[in-house]
Parts: sequence; structure tokens; C-alpha cells
Amino acid sequence: MPLLRIDGLAHAFGPTKALAGASLEIRSGEIVALMGANGAGKSTLVNVLAGTLAADHGTMTLAGRPYAPRSPAEATDAGVVTVHQSTERVGAPGLSVADALLLHAYADGSAPFFLSRSAVRRKAAAMLENAGFALPLDRDFAELTAADRQLVAIARALSRQASLLILDEPTASISGRESERLYTILRRLRDDGLAILFISHRIADLNALADRAVVMRGGTVVGEFARPIDFDRAVETMIGRPLRAARPDARSFQGAPVLELAGVQLVAGSTPFDLKLHPGEVVAVTGVLGAGKSRLLQTIFGMRHLAAGTMRLDGKAYIPATPADAIKAGIFMAGEDRHRSSLMPADWPGSNLAPTISLPHLPKWYPLGFLLGSRERYEAQRAIDTLGIKASGPEAPMTSLSGGNQQKVILGRWNAEPSRVLLLDEPFQGVDVGARHDIITAIRANTERATLIATSDPEEALEVADRILIIDHHTLTPAHHAELPAEAIEA
Amino acid sequence: MKHLTRTLLGGLVAASLVASTAFSAGIDGAPAPFDKGDVDIAVVSFLGGGDWLQAFEAGVKRQADALHVNLTVSQARNDNDTQRSLIEQAINLGVDGIIINNGRPEVLKDVAQKALDAGIKVVAYDVNLDNPQIPQIEQSDKDMARLVLEQAVKDKGDGFVGGAVYVAGFAPLDRRYAVWKDFVAKHNLTEKANWGVVNDTVPASVADQTKAVLTANPDISVIFTPWDEFAKGVKLAIDELGVASKVKIYGVDISTADIQLMNEPDSAWQATAATNAAVVGEVSVRAVSLAIAGQFPGTSVLLQPTLVTHDDLAKGEIKTVEDLQEKFPAFRKSDAATAEWIPSATN
Amino acid sequence: MTIINSENQSPLSERISAAVRASAVFILLIVMVTGFALAQPAYINVTNLMSILQAVSVVAILGAGVTITLAVGGFDLSIGAVAASSVMAASYSMIVWGLGVYETVPLVLLFGALVGLVNAFLIVRLRVPDLLATLAMMFLLTGLQLIPTAGRSISAGLILPDGSTATGAYDPAFLLIGRSSFFGVVPAPVVIMALVAIVLFVLTERTRLGRLLFATGGNELATRLAGASVPRLKTLAYVLSGTLASLGGIIVAARVGRGDVSSGASLLMDSVAAALIGFAVLGLRCPNVFGTIVGAVFVGLLLNGLTMLNAPYYTQDFVKGAVLVGALALTYGLGRSQAR
Repeated sequence: MPLLRIDGLAHAFGPTKALAGASLEIRSGEIVALMGANGAGKSTLVNVLAGTLAADHGTMTLAGRPYAPRSPAEATDAGVVTVHQSTERVGAPGLSVADALLLHAYADGSAPFFLSRSAVRRKAAAMLENAGFALPLDRDFAELTAADRQLVAIARALSRQASLLILDEPTASISGRESERLYTILRRLRDDGLAILFISHRIADLNALADRAVVMRGGTVVGEFARPIDFDRAVETMIGRPLRAARPDARSFQGAPVLELAGVQLVAGSTPFDLKLHPGEVVAVTGVLGAGKSRLLQTIFGMRHLAAGTMRLDGKAYIPATPADAIKAGIFMAGEDRHRSSLMPADWPGSNLAPTISLPHLPKWYPLGFLLGSRERYEAQRAIDTLGIKASGPEAPMTSLSGGNQQKVILGRWNAEPSRVLLLDEPFQGVDVGARHDIITAIRANTERATLIATSDPEEALEVADRILIIDHHTLTPAHHAELPAEAIEA
Repeated sequence: MKHLTRTLLGGLVAASLVASTAFSAGIDGAPAPFDKGDVDIAVVSFLGGGDWLQAFEAGVKRQADALHVNLTVSQARNDNDTQRSLIEQAINLGVDGIIINNGRPEVLKDVAQKALDAGIKVVAYDVNLDNPQIPQIEQSDKDMARLVLEQAVKDKGDGFVGGAVYVAGFAPLDRRYAVWKDFVAKHNLTEKANWGVVNDTVPASVADQTKAVLTANPDISVIFTPWDEFAKGVKLAIDELGVASKVKIYGVDISTADIQLMNEPDSAWQATAATNAAVVGEVSVRAVSLAIAGQFPGTSVLLQPTLVTHDDLAKGEIKTVEDLQEKFPAFRKSDAATAEWIPSATN
Repeated sequence: MTIINSENQSPLSERISAAVRASAVFILLIVMVTGFALAQPAYINVTNLMSILQAVSVVAILGAGVTITLAVGGFDLSIGAVAASSVMAASYSMIVWGLGVYETVPLVLLFGALVGLVNAFLIVRLRVPDLLATLAMMFLLTGLQLIPTAGRSISAGLILPDGSTATGAYDPAFLLIGRSSFFGVVPAPVVIMALVAIVLFVLTERTRLGRLLFATGGNELATRLAGASVPRLKTLAYVLSGTLASLGGIIVAARVGRGDVSSGASLLMDSVAAALIGFAVLGLRCPNVFGTIVGAVFVGLLLNGLTMLNAPYYTQDFVKGAVLVGALALTYGLGRSQAR
């Protein structure tokens, strides 16, 4: 008997049918991958399972009993634990990481009323040991990166006595090494009899974990693939069109570099390195978490200062003191985690599509200071058209866009004005395969500027870049495209 | 549905408020417009609360009821700008008379004139608007301070060491304090300290200050408090320090709450001098009514104070202002601003 | 993952609830004014309406300042105290220094700007949390007012701490700022309020600078990464807020014609309330100048009506609180249904 049986589940948001009769079975002791492009209904399905949404039609049975959770707490009590993709709400600023790990225990009363610091630490450390990774227990939760927050959420979910664990893009923002560790843990949990349902866009995850892949499109399950999984077919089923050769041809570039780093040390004491970027070239930097990918980009963008070395832009010395200097010089950057680094919160002024695109270009587009004329709308419409952004128009709230389309808007922002160098930090976070393809095409189409991309996913690096560099301990080493199996980069 | 409920609610609130401002009938034999009734008087107080204001408003209400007058009572809660706005609002309402209770001359002179220009009669209590058309109702601050300080000298003799709670800039306080200064000179007293604050929590703040002062100056034996809110704070401080046998309070103003404080066994508060706030309220209404009826009560309407000591209260078993009125006829009534056609206020 | 409605056809119920949210305050306003006018006809006459606007002008101007600091994600608790000390500063400058209107007004505005600058220095450079910094500034100013005159109120004939008597007086031209009216109908403070409202509305909604101010409050990092100078924007917001507060103080001084020591707490509370009611006015759920002005006028209409109908003063704070709670519940409560 399957642990969970879903039958004809439907849910509509107004006229949009997010789920249209989805049916699915999950057995104890198996890992099922849920695949689907944005809008396929994956998240809605997960939300129904997690108790945050109620289905309009259809039935669910868990271990033979009817299952219809009315709240996340009910779902958890029934043994269905969900780790959501956005992890900001796992803890709160001001809480230590240890507190954040034990937050649910405080809330459900299983922790004693009076807490000693050492007891909290001890319990939190035990949870991490069980999960198999380390986190700085005394740090403030707000200082954690998206990757660390995800680890807190996973560790917390693992500590609950779940029969079904649902993971929404668990590895989207954590490094390869930590993914490996997570795989090991998840396989162990499966062998202990846990059922695991996970959403992921990463081939590496599917390869490493999935016993079975379920593909959704248009709110229903359109295909199932058992091991060995034919990923090309699975992805084609998912996006509903044939996959073009995913690996681009590496182009080679000669001539004068746009940006030249010489003898650069990102932090004092690290090994100096050089870097040259040519116009039109797309270079990916990959490496484990904390290796210095983001730091490299932030340094070029003027957010941090070089410990040593020089930068030259088009042959002239380039010493940016602030991002404003970098932008003036023609170096643009889209930071990691678009919600944190680029977008306004929902309902806040400037949280629509057009103002999101115009934010850095306001002085140029409106030199008199008054926002008169339709330049902003015009530029937004241009981005919508050229990047194929699915949105109701320039006034669409960013929250109404899917992750992939939001990321396209961010790219549209920095494409709106000519630049010399575009820096992209993890540009494919929470972006489905279809949108990723469009973004890669758009990045590679530009021949004027050089693009430097930081990514922790070697597959993404392979897909987008002409040249891949590996960063380790804040220093760069080149990796040659041809001989780059994913595992080699991880090593 | 949501606004429907809200509309209904709004209507209800408005209706209930209308009901409270019922129209009154006139008084036979009174001059116009009191013979017909439907006279509106607005009372705008600077203060926002306190025993004195409560008693004042009670007196206003009593006399207004006797005269069958409609009242609009508002308080500026110690805010100059608000008091101006409230007077302007009364003008907009088209009342027949306005009683201005306390406030600052600079703030109010021009709006008071505006009211007069609009044909509205104005009387002012305890604020000198310096306008011959506006009757000034005053309690004699000098007499009040003199009465208690004479009692203090009688109790303690010449040359005692004292302190005064005082904040400059309030005319009655300034006048009362000036009397204290005279006494200091005339009776060879020593003023060791003077302190005070006027804010939202006068007694508590003054108590804190007083504790500091008394700790620093243990030789102080008399504290002069020209306002009863000050006296409350000082009493609190003395009780908390446990020095009631050594330090005595000579205050000004009285209320039921004040009487209770004075009545406490071994109370430090020895004597006070006051006019009855309720009588002030009654006189104010009578004065403005005379003005409305065209019988100008004169530019100055003076109220005489009464001395009340700790012993008086104990002997007469006086517990409230009402008891006090029975015991001290001068306290019960004032013959200021009266006329035959004005019925006396009934308690 | 979000569901895209490709044609942006929100369902009817959602559109209705959005419309209700956007117009609720205005519906309420009409109901209220009608109710009061029926109960007391004098309520609706032009003089009274102008009195109401005049009474709220200071709160509205201060509220606009609060709105600007809310826009940059900050909060200025010192505005009430800035306004209160501006009253003292204006009185001191005229009565003690004997200056006229043309010296006093710029001087006081400069004082407000300077306080804003100090606030900004504490918040931007020293990284003191905004609430703490401006709260400290509030106490500082409340105390500072007492020092030049040794705690005395400032009016003509003030006796200075050194025993001498101040010889100056309020400049009659200065009093005109608070006491005159245009065409005998529109009080000068109302005109000033309208000007401030228009300028700040244009600044926040129609200029680059306004966009960047809001961007700072929405996402500071994103604003910095877009090349804007966040410290400069925050500084500007606090300087604007301080200057507006001192402008409010000037109006108060010109109305009352003397300087009394005050913490300005009620001004602070009322202007914060106006700014928060402003969140509800168009259902925007965020600070906006138009909403703040409407919020201030709304409270003014309500309080004036209640006073006219003889409601005791102690109901007024309750009513203000009820309006605030109602407005916020309405803005945030409706539209909860569109959960994502």
C-alpha cells in the first residue's frame, strides 16, 4: 500500500487552474522527484500537501487514512514535513542559529519553559549532528546566507518524526559539497523507511537521488520515469518541446580585454591571481560555498576593496569605491538572491516591473529629476518583448511573476543600458529550465560586454559559459571546458 | 456589508449625540434671551483634568441647569493651540457666550476679540485678556497666599527655613509666589530651595524632585505649594521619606481629594486657602449670562478665599468639599455676579 | 512559484475588495461628515471647515515628515520635540534677541534641519537604530528648551536667568503666519499645509529622488546595488523631517504668540497616527503623503465633530485609536484572501 495517494487533486486561483486533477502515489522508503516548469503546479501541489492551501477537488489518503490538513501544523502532526524554498522565515533577525533550530520546539511546547544557553546549544548541536552538517550556532540568524538558512530548515525538518518529507528545491542555493552531504543523509533516511518528495531543477540532484521522477505540466501529472531516468526525455516532457543542445559551443576571444585584474588578492594572505575578460565573452566562476565567488564579484562592483593588486577597465585604472562608481564606469551587477539584492517588497512603491527595471537608470533617463514621460514604460516593454517575460505589462507587480520571469526582469534591468561588464551572482536561483534557457541565450547574445557569472552549480556553468574558472580559497584556477565532468569541479 | 454596518453605527453615534443636546425651555420673568430659553454657552478650559476642573465643571453645570442653558464643554489639555482651536470652534457653532477658563493672554486675546466681533459674550477666569468688554473673574491669589502664610507664621513663628514649589510663567502662581517672597522678607524666613515642574504627571514629578530637595536640605520645615497638584506631590514625597512630623505643607486650592490628604493622621499638609472651584464655575456662568442679557457684570468679578486648616477639618469632621460648604458658609456661596432673575444653583 | 494570470484578470471578488480598500476611508469620511452635519448644521459651514483644516495643518505637516522617514525605512520620534522646541526657538529669537520675522523663520527652519542632520549622523554614521536615536533626540530637545530661560515660558517681558528683562516682542508680521487668512476665508496655515502637501506629493511620487527614497526603505541593499547613495538619501529624509517639524513649530508659535515648554508628545502621536491612517487611505499599505494629509484631516473632522456634539475630551484619544485600528485592520485585513 502506498504511504500517500493523491487522486484527482484540483485547485484554481481565480480563472487559473493551478492544479487540474493531479494524481500521484508515494511509497515509504522511496525518493520521488517532482519535475515541472514554472506554472506546472508543483508548488500548488506542495502547498496542498503542506496544509497551506486547501484543494478544491480530489482526495488524499495518508497511510490508509483520509488526509486533508487545514494548516501546516496539522500536516506536521500527521507526519508530513515540508521545507519551503524561501527560507527567510525559518528564523528571525535577533535569534541565534541555535534558537532558530529549536524554534518549533519552543512553539509546540516540547522545550522546557526556562532555557539555559548551554542546553539550547547542546540540543541544537545534536540536531546538526543528526543532519550531518555544521552551522555557526551562536551567529545571528539574519547574518546567514540563503544556503545556511536552507540548512537550518532542513536540519529542523529532519529532527521531526516525519513519515513524508517534502523538499522544495532543497539544493537550489547550497554548494555542491553540501549537496553531496545532503544526498547522503536523504539516502540514509530513505533506507530507514522515510518517503521523500522533492522538487528540483538540477540534473545532479535527480541523478543522485531520484528513485522515480514524476513530471507535471498544466496542473496534471504528464509522465513518470523510473530508474534509470532518461533526463533528456523527462525535461522534454516537462517543457513540452524538444531540448536544444544544452551545452553551447565554447567561443574563443582574443584582443584587448575589457576588464583586467592583475596580481589581485581578494583577502589579505590569499594567493594572487590574474583575470582577463573580453568583450562578448561569458565566463563562469564556480566553487564551493565560501570560496570567494561572491566576494570576487562584489570587489569588482566596488562593494569591497582589494587587499592587493590592480584592476583596469578598457586599459585605464579602475578603482571603484562604491557600486555607484562601478555603474558609472559601466560595470553592472545583479546580486545573489534577487529578493534580497534587487527587488522591493510586495506592495511597496517601486515593486512593479517598470520601476524595477529603471531603478539604477533613473539619473540617466530622467536627468531633470521629475518622472515625466514614458521612458520607463517603454524600456520595460522592450525588456518584456526581447526577453519574453510573461507579465501583464510594465505595471505588473513583481510578485505576480514566476521566479524565472523575475530573474528575466533583473537581467532586463541591466540590459537596458549598455555596459562593459555584467556581473551575475547565482542568476539561476529558483529559475526553471525553460526560463534558464532564455536567460542563457540572452546573456550569450550580447557581444559588446563581458559577462562574469558566479554559480555554485557546475551544470549551470557548463550551460552558460565560454570559459569556466574554479575559485578556491579566494583564488582562481582555470578549468578547461572539454574535460569538465561535474564531479571534477566538485573535487 | 461592511460599510452598511459602519453607516448604521455612524448614524447611531450621531443620533445619540443629538439626543444629549436637548433644547431647554426658558425662565419666566428673565430678560431676553433667557425668557425664551435656547441659550448656548461654551466653556473652554485650558486644563485637561484634575479635581479643580471637575469641581469647576460641576459648578458650571449646576448653574447652567438652573438657568436652562445649553452647554458645550471642552478642554484644551494644556495645549495653547488646541485652546485657540476650541474657541474658534465655539465661534463657528454660534454660541451666545464663551467662558474661557485659564490659558495664556498672548494666545487668546485675538480669538477672544474675534468672538466679541461675532457678537458673542466672553468672560474669562484666571486669564487676563486685558479687554474692557471681557469680565475677568478672579480669585484673589494674593489673599489666598496671605491667609496660609499667616497661618504658617502663626504655627512656626518668624524665621523658619522653608522652600517653595514654583514654576514661573503661570500668572496665578506668579502672584501667589510673590506673596511668599514678601513673607520671606518681612518675617525673616529662609528660602532654601524652590523647584517644580508642570507636565502631564505633576504630582509624581514634583514628588521625585521634592525627595531630592528634602534629602539635600533636611533643615526645611515648611513648604509653600501655590497649587494643590504641587501639594499632592510634596505630600507624597514627605510620606515616602517619613518626615511628616518635621516638614509641613502650606498650600493653596482645595478639593475633596485634597481634604482627604489633609485629613490623614499626622498629615503634613497643615493649611490651605481656597475659593470653591464649583462656586467659580457658578459665578462664571452667571457672569456670562448677565453679559448675554445685557447686564454687564463689570470688568472684574472678585471671589474671596477661605482659610482651611488641618484642625478645622478634624474638628468639623469634614471629609468632602460638600461637608466643607456646610461648615464654611463663605465657601458655599458667592454673591458675586448675581441678579434676581438668576435662580441659584441647586446641588 | 506563483501563478501568472496572463491577462491579469483578477477575479471579481478580489477587485471588489481592492476597490473597497481603496475607497473605504473616503466612504467613511462622507458618512461621518454627513452624520455630523445633520446633528449640528454649524459643522458644515465654511468657517468651521477652515477651522478644522487650520487645526490639523501642523499635524499634517509633521505627518508628511514622518511619511518621508517611513519611506526610507526609518522613523523620526523627535519631530514632536523639534516642533515644540521650534516654538521656543522662535519665541526666544524674537523676544530675547529682538529679531524680526525675516530672521526668525530661516533661523528656526535651520534649527530643524540641523536637528535632522544630527539624527542622520547618529543613524547613518554611528548606526544607532533610528527609534533609539530619535527618541534620545526627543529627550535632548525637551530638556534643551529649558536651558536658555531656566525653564520659564517665553512671553513679552520675560525675566532672564541673569535677572534682566527681555525687551523684544513677537513681530506682528510673524503672527500673520498663524493668524491671518487669505481672502478672509483660508487661514495661512492651511495654505502652508497645502503647499507642503503638493511639494512633498510631487517629490515622493513624481521625482527620481522620491523613487529612491522609497527604494531605500523597501530594500536598502537593492538601492545601494543600483548605484544610489543610501546614507545621503537617509540624511535627506531626516533633514526634511526636521525642517518640516520646525515649520510646524513656526505655525504653532505664530498662532499662540508665546513659547511654553512642551515635549510635543501629542503632536508626535497625532502625526504618526495620520501617517499610519495614510496607509489605509488608498489601500496602498505603505507610507504616502496624500494618505497622510487625508489621515490628518480625517482625524480633525472627527474630533471637531465630537467636540461640537459635546463628547467629553477623554473619548477623543479613544476615538483616534479606534480610527487607527479600524483603518489598519481594513487595509491589511481585506485582501488576506489572496494568499500566495
